[in-house]
Amino acid sequence: MKRVLSLFLCCFLILSIGCGKKKKDSNTITIWHWMTDRHKTFESLAQKYEEQTGIKVQIDLYAPSDVFTHKIIASAQARVLPDIYGILDKKKVFASFIENGFVADLTEEFKKNDSEWEKAIFPKALDVNRFKEGNIYNIRPGIYGEPLDVTNIQMLYNRKLLEKIGVKTPPVTFEDFINIAESLKRIGISSLVSGWGELWMIECFASNYAFNIMGEKKVMDTFKGEVPYTDPDWIKVFSIFKDLADRGILVEGVVTKPNKFAEQDFALERAAFAFNGSWCVNVYNDMNPDLEYGAMLPPSINPKLPMRIWGGAGSSFVVNQDSTNKDKAIAFLKWITNKEQQSYLAKETKNLPSNRQALSDIPKILSEFARVMDYTTYPSIWEYNEAALVSEKFNRGIQSIIIGEKTPQEVAEEVQAVKQKELEKAKRKRK
Amino acid sequence: MINKYTIKKFFISIITHIFLMTVAMSCLFPLFWMLRCALMTNETVFVDKSIIPSQMNFGNFITAWVEGGFGIYFLNSIIYTASVVFGIVIIASLAGYAFSRLRFPGKNLFFYMFIAALMIPLPGSFVPLVVLMNKLGWANTRYGYILCMINVGLSMSILLFKTFFDKMSPDLEDAARIDGCGRLGIWWHVALPLARPAIAVVVIFNSLNVWNEYILANLLLNDKSLMPLQRGLMVFQGSHSVDYPLLMSGLAIAVVPIVVVYLVMQKHIIKGLSSGITVG
Repeated sequence: MKRVLSLFLCCFLILSIGCGKKKKDSNTITIWHWMTDRHKTFESLAQKYEEQTGIKVQIDLYAPSDVFTHKIIASAQARVLPDIYGILDKKKVFASFIENGFVADLTEEFKKNDSEWEKAIFPKALDVNRFKEGNIYNIRPGIYGEPLDVTNIQMLYNRKLLEKIGVKTPPVTFEDFINIAESLKRIGISSLVSGWGELWMIECFASNYAFNIMGEKKVMDTFKGEVPYTDPDWIKVFSIFKDLADRGILVEGVVTKPNKFAEQDFALERAAFAFNGSWCVNVYNDMNPDLEYGAMLPPSINPKLPMRIWGGAGSSFVVNQDSTNKDKAIAFLKWITNKEQQSYLAKETKNLPSNRQALSDIPKILSEFARVMDYTTYPSIWEYNEAALVSEKFNRGIQSIIIGEKTPQEVAEEVQAVKQKELEKAKRKRK
Repeated sequence: MINKYTIKKFFISIITHIFLMTVAMSCLFPLFWMLRCALMTNETVFVDKSIIPSQMNFGNFITAWVEGGFGIYFLNSIIYTASVVFGIVIIASLAGYAFSRLRFPGKNLFFYMFIAALMIPLPGSFVPLVVLMNKLGWANTRYGYILCMINVGLSMSILLFKTFFDKMSPDLEDAARIDGCGRLGIWWHVALPLARPAIAVVVIFNSLNVWNEYILANLLLNDKSLMPLQRGLMVFQGSHSVDYPLLMSGLAIAVVPIVVVYLVMQKHIIKGLSSGITVG
């Protein structure tokens, strides 16, 4: 036993030798990220950058995203953050990182040479990393991160299934959409699938139509408590779901479907339309490379107002304020977001580039997603956000409408009741 | 002659067997499903509904091993599991023996402190551990991770050993003392050999824990070459899409060593868990 013990201790010591803390190399930039599917592409770009500039870029992958978030928070507290990293948490956490000096202000870099860098990037994507004058977090106005890619959530249509009923172009109005869906139903094809088992996807769809039916101002006024959810325009929004359910346009079980299962339904041609994000290009390609599909804006109800969809920066990187290689890190971020690198990233990873100049050079389906980036909006850039309890009641209410448990009017009243309570709570807090 | 009693016994036996077979099936089915998916391709995994895949793609195991970089991760996991389990068995058995047999000031306080540590979930200790390891300069080192994992597994193991040693007859210690053994000698020559069932339980619980651990490794280690096996499995899980056949092949590879440990230790574990344990 003593021999075993000694042998074991010797092995342990030998194996542990050489694993000590390595000294920081001033010619190496370290990047921490969570994007498993982009890791190889990042590594090849890093190699190219080293060949061009002689600066080594060390790319470290820590996935999945929740583990990465833990790593970033723990490393921030230990003050061992890398030169470049991502913050996946809410804007509040992002703000606290800036406040504590973990994130460099990139505004000056974006404004250099007549805002050359800023102009190249989709403004909606930059907004996610931007803190405006008078922001609620009291952060000095500026841009604190660089979007690596952008994303948006639209509707997808299956070209082959639509051709079966003689339709060659996707519907533009909601009325057209209903007519097509009913024709599909007659030949036994389900129409719309989405991961409405995930509440945020319902909220996203409903918010698109709320903006289209009543406009941004009225939606914000509702969040402020100045317009009730029992307003006829909101009843119209709730009624869309009742209409879709009553006409049998939704795939069965849609309210319990996680998005992953909804993606399978569309990829395997079990539904002609899907409501999904631009990341689906990757997913569908894995599940069914022969799938023929296109992207379209959700069909509009009110032609007088534009259809707004959710979108913005997909993944962003920030630069560590304490980094000794800050300038080199910024130079690398500029390089990776230039046209050539962005086109390469888009082609290899099938994500939308954040650089607008790269759009001419990307696959067709990606450009279909990208061309409507100007229509995007996102809760984190809105002036007001709805209280979490109200949002939950709103989304669950829509689920109840779809399964026929409640009417739009009932749900509107229930949501308004919760909203009222939240407003009173906020009033008491202010006092 | 068949009487009422024999018929009753026969039916009870049938019902018991059906119940046990159902439980066994429900335990084995996920493993079977994992192997089934591991043999399919990305195109067929969502389409092919058959129980046994029509085309067996054994190449997935090789691809998973190569693409996941399993070689170095596998070695790391073996080093981590063996070192942590060994460390826990030695430290916890010494501590358990001391808490059970020795009298020293603050004995109960220290013991309850260890037990209280059981209540703290692992994520709750992440940040302090990372900060501590960085201050000591042990972050991103094998021994830093091993020491943290030993720390994680100690409380439960000390409790197990103490409970076991509490039931050990004092006569055995007296006999060893007459033969000239000191306190360490009694622990080494008498207590530890008798504690085999407890050791088996500690080994299997902690092996499983270390083998499947990934979060702490991800927090403490930066070098890819120091990461455990679970890191290899992440390669097949994209942000939005998953390569199911390769992930399942990787899981099948990862599960083999732990199944072997369980099979080897099985006899002792059942003994350790089920016996009233009259030691000695």
